[in-house]
Amino acid sequence: MKIGSKEKLSSPQAAVILVNYILAAGILTLPRSSAEKLESPDIWMTVILGGLFAMGAGIIIVKLSQRYPGRTIYKYSQEIAGKWAGSFLGLIIIIYFFSLAAYEIRVLSEVTSLFLLEGTPIWAIIMPFMWIGLYLIGGGIDPIARLFELILPITVIIFLIVISMSMGIFELDNLRPVLGSGITPIIKGVSTTVVAFLGIEIMLIIVAFMDKPAQAVKVVLIGTGTSMFFYLITVVMVIGGLSVDGVLTKTWPTIDLIRSFEIQGLIFERFESLLLTIWIMQIFTTYTITFYAASLGLSQIFKKKIGPFQFGLLPVIYLIGMIPANMNEVFAMGDMIGYSALILFGVLPLALLIISKIKGDKA
Amino acid sequence: MKMSQIKKKPIKSSTMKHEKKNEDEGPYELTGEIQRDLQLFKKEIGHNSDVHFREFNIGLTSIRAVLIYVDGLSDKELIDKHIMKSLMQDFTDAKGDGRHEAKEKFTVDYIKSHILSLGEISAASNIKDTVPQILKGSAVLLLDGAFEMLILGIANGKTRNIEEPVSEQAVRGPREGFTENLSDNTALLRRNGGTEKLIFSKFIVGKRSNKDLIVAYIEDIANPAIVEEVKSRIQQIDIDNVMESGYVEQLIEDNFMSPFPQAQNTERPDRVNAALMEGRVAILLDGTPFALLVPVTFSMMLQASEDYYERWISGSLIRLLRFVAIFISLFGPALYISFVSFHQGLIPTKLAMSIIGTRDGVPFPSIIEALIMEVAIEILREAGLRLPKPIGPAIGIVGALIIGEAAVSAGIVSPIMVIVVAVTAISSFAIPEYSLGISLRYLRFVCMFFAAVFGLYGVILFFLFISSHLVKLKSFGVPYISLAVPYRLSDWKDFIVRFPLKVLKERPSMLHPKDPTRKG
Amino acid sequence: MKMTQKVLIFILAVISLSGCWSSKEIEELGLIIGTAIDLDNEGEFEDRQSGIDNGNVFKLTNQLITAETANNATNGGQSQVRAYKNITETGEAVLPALRNMILRIDKRAFGEHAKVIIIGEELARGYNLEQVLDFFRREQEMRSSTLIVIAKGSASKTLESAEPTVIPAIQLVEMIQGKERSTKILTPMPIAKMEGQLNSGNSFLIQTVSTENNDRKLTGAAMIDGNTKTLRAFLNDTETEGVTWIKGKGKGGLVRSYDEEDSQPIVYESLSMKSKIKPSVQGDSISFTVKIETEGRIGEHWDISGKAFDSKYMKKAEKATEKEIERLVKNVLEKTQEEYKMDVLGFGRSLQISHPQVWKKVKNNWDETFSDIPVEFSINVSIKEMGTSR
Repeated sequence: MKIGSKEKLSSPQAAVILVNYILAAGILTLPRSSAEKLESPDIWMTVILGGLFAMGAGIIIVKLSQRYPGRTIYKYSQEIAGKWAGSFLGLIIIIYFFSLAAYEIRVLSEVTSLFLLEGTPIWAIIMPFMWIGLYLIGGGIDPIARLFELILPITVIIFLIVISMSMGIFELDNLRPVLGSGITPIIKGVSTTVVAFLGIEIMLIIVAFMDKPAQAVKVVLIGTGTSMFFYLITVVMVIGGLSVDGVLTKTWPTIDLIRSFEIQGLIFERFESLLLTIWIMQIFTTYTITFYAASLGLSQIFKKKIGPFQFGLLPVIYLIGMIPANMNEVFAMGDMIGYSALILFGVLPLALLIISKIKGDKA
Repeated sequence: MKMSQIKKKPIKSSTMKHEKKNEDEGPYELTGEIQRDLQLFKKEIGHNSDVHFREFNIGLTSIRAVLIYVDGLSDKELIDKHIMKSLMQDFTDAKGDGRHEAKEKFTVDYIKSHILSLGEISAASNIKDTVPQILKGSAVLLLDGAFEMLILGIANGKTRNIEEPVSEQAVRGPREGFTENLSDNTALLRRNGGTEKLIFSKFIVGKRSNKDLIVAYIEDIANPAIVEEVKSRIQQIDIDNVMESGYVEQLIEDNFMSPFPQAQNTERPDRVNAALMEGRVAILLDGTPFALLVPVTFSMMLQASEDYYERWISGSLIRLLRFVAIFISLFGPALYISFVSFHQGLIPTKLAMSIIGTRDGVPFPSIIEALIMEVAIEILREAGLRLPKPIGPAIGIVGALIIGEAAVSAGIVSPIMVIVVAVTAISSFAIPEYSLGISLRYLRFVCMFFAAVFGLYGVILFFLFISSHLVKLKSFGVPYISLAVPYRLSDWKDFIVRFPLKVLKERPSMLHPKDPTRKG
Repeated sequence: MKMTQKVLIFILAVISLSGCWSSKEIEELGLIIGTAIDLDNEGEFEDRQSGIDNGNVFKLTNQLITAETANNATNGGQSQVRAYKNITETGEAVLPALRNMILRIDKRAFGEHAKVIIIGEELARGYNLEQVLDFFRREQEMRSSTLIVIAKGSASKTLESAEPTVIPAIQLVEMIQGKERSTKILTPMPIAKMEGQLNSGNSFLIQTVSTENNDRKLTGAAMIDGNTKTLRAFLNDTETEGVTWIKGKGKGGLVRSYDEEDSQPIVYESLSMKSKIKPSVQGDSISFTVKIETEGRIGEHWDISGKAFDSKYMKKAEKATEKEIERLVKNVLEKTQEEYKMDVLGFGRSLQISHPQVWKKVKNNWDETFSDIPVEFSINVSIKEMGTSR
């Protein structure tokens, strides 16, 4: 009985990873990106709908992974689609993961240099952040899960405190009329909100690490549900505080919401620093888990040790993150990653599941 | 095993578990001729002036005897009134004729079983082996014609009385603290936690110093894997002298690069007993009042025994206060730097106005200002620690009041900086574990550098870095950050809030104790 | 040894580098706490002479707090020096004017503590506020909690005070926050809310401030046209009271009415108020009902005839107060509907909420439509207590 040597994730840990991964850049931009599409205050319905879609996709992913206990997508894709096609698929997923990591650090650097560190070069902001991430993932999935568990309660508490402070400028009228322009724009907007729930694809990998893979569906439901709850509060408070018309002109509406009130008599009058703090931590979690997923994929496909891949990916992620020249291109990159994920993880797992079922029946 | 090759004769000890018979024992075996044996002894330790060789005749017989002991280590009163008296006077009375020319074997046995009324007495024949025991306070009785000598356990070095522990004061709780004497310490443990399952397993550490070390644990609670791990690490200790338990701590810890202490040290027997009951292992070393407790987790360092002695609400609130203190002592100056030099927009306008006013004329950026004051206060603290007791507090007052006041009026630092530094320093005193306090003191400087470069972002980076380190760190296989994560509700009953004792029915689960509940 | 040297060099390098990055010491800043924007009608004479004039010259007055002035404020204001510093500069737009200020002060102007932006009457009448305020919305250093106020006459005058220790911008903001106790003050309008209002195309109201003997006074409200986004007209104190009652966005406040019998004044102090605008649509005709409910107490009454406060009297006082409130709200409604033909009272918004389809039809010409729509009031005052005196 050797203690502390387990590399297995408990079900709560898996759910925490999922929540931390899903919550990232979306918290700051979701109200605007969805308001642009909808132009009505019914965004919150779209968020729920998007969450439900994500849950559906997540369940498919879990069902697929459960067929191959103890193995990640990188390994079983070769089994389903053959060695070459499977490896190719794995590589695409790896590219997706590290592009997402690159996108997250780029957004991080943009927001940080705008609100916290005007004048500090972007590389200087990113470098220490990336190195700390590398240091963490060197320890494997176990420390990652534990760090995520450490960060989540901090996030939840601070987020709820900060967002409830904005009750002072909340106006219910800003959220009305409900369904003023019918149901069609809501459905149209789902494509934006479902992208905010990206992160569900991590189940392709962590189901393999779970000590009770049978509970993975529950993990998906709880994890996505929690994230949905967060997004819902964010969207409702932001729209309620700033109104749809006000949100449209903001690049980072959530920060602007927190910046638009001051509460006197406390140690702080302003709370955006708290919001940015937890947001940076959330970016860190997303960055580390995608970074880990990508390096794990490389090591499993090439059957080599994971360490060198982690070091090797670091400059790649950095360089990809530096590609967009301005903010619009950054958002375009985000959209591109989002839509490719929709295809990659909305359609592909279903196809793999069907193939696997057919093959499985034959065997 | 390298050591044994260098030395001709490895020092053996009768207390060692796997005693190997040394082949080459010729010159150190007793010859039976008292003068030759005495010469051998004198060759070994005779050049020491504190070793006494008292030669005398047993009773009225012509049997020569020598008592060898170290001045100050052995109980002189016992020697005078008990041993010498029995051997020289009472021997005659007991034997009647007093002219008994007995076989040597008979004499040794006879003395052992009839004359010397001592609890701890044993026979030995190898001179080399007995020397360390003499140096630890035993007396050796050599008899002419005997091939065995008697080792009399009368060690009574002048040790401290059991006093209140200096480094860990408690308002409520036992006033006893460990002393430098190992047997006193084990006695304290045994008395307070009287259970037959309390195991003391003895080791000898230090190739030259041969210090006794005891690993204590409760057999049916502690996880055997942890106990085995502790024992094997202790056996691997390879050093000439182990001065203090700090040596042991550093030689058996998991990660020597980590800033965090990976064993807890305490002077309080009640604390050790509580830890044993949780399923942890205690390491006691002869010659130091500090016992080590392993494994340790971060949250354990923030618990004091008084948390449990006081009622649960006050205990919980005090514990909460400690979390605040640890936060301030780590991040206080760094946050000040980041707000004053980077994010002036985040402080309330009126506060910003007053800071602007007070900082007007201060020639340094806030990082330099903070460094000056923090370094000054660290020096003060260190100076106060080393000074004789009556002067120490005076220095503190002089430093804090006069230097602070003068620095402010000279315009070198701003008054708010003085407040920040003072609050930080006081917060760091509120951490019950001194070694953790030291770690946080220098981590605070690291955090200040991060803040000086990146402001609040730097503070967050530092937090992420430290947390990344903490989640990777393990103490004897137990994750250092346990209790906080992974989430386990039964463990959280004794985390930030200490639940009423009636509810605290489980032992900490990260230790994987054999007996997971506290039920009787 | 080499390692430690390297580490030391690294740390030193980082510290020295950091000096070039983002850090700036707080005492080197001049905190902008209030900004007044005026039209520079006097103009830069030379500029106009040399033909640079394009008519768009802004006059920007920033109220700064610097290390020197803050010291005066914290020292109890013993000295004669002012606790603030006003700097005025002109430019073609806000940012150029702000940058021109660099030429005049040694401190770095820092906008995150800006409390209030005061827009001069002339500027507000002539320029689209969306354009004027664009800089303040765009610049991340400007907080969106900064309040917007329209000045009657010159804006820069409102930032001057007779007493040296009073900081006008802060005083102004604190006055606006006194809203809880008066119905004559509007809900504060931070930039964040203003942006939504400007974007939505509806007309709305902004708090107005005027200067009297070098001191500030909150006087009524400014009506901003939703189409042109410029100032149309002002509402006076009484009309503002009416606005607060219709919107129900208030808490305390006095209503003075008269006892019908002996025409002695009764002062009703409201403790809570609630209002609901209820649109009803029948075919093409739209009508509104405004339901106002308030609870309060008798604050003062001059009837010293010794009449006890029996319930009959209370009823009478309630009636009188209701009548007075009705007069207030009808007064302002009349003014907006008939004189200015502008909906600044939020009727359009309530129509949008309950009848989004109808709103879509009338939205484009709403201000015109609104002026002909009948509005009913139903006011209910209940007096809960009469204070400590009977």
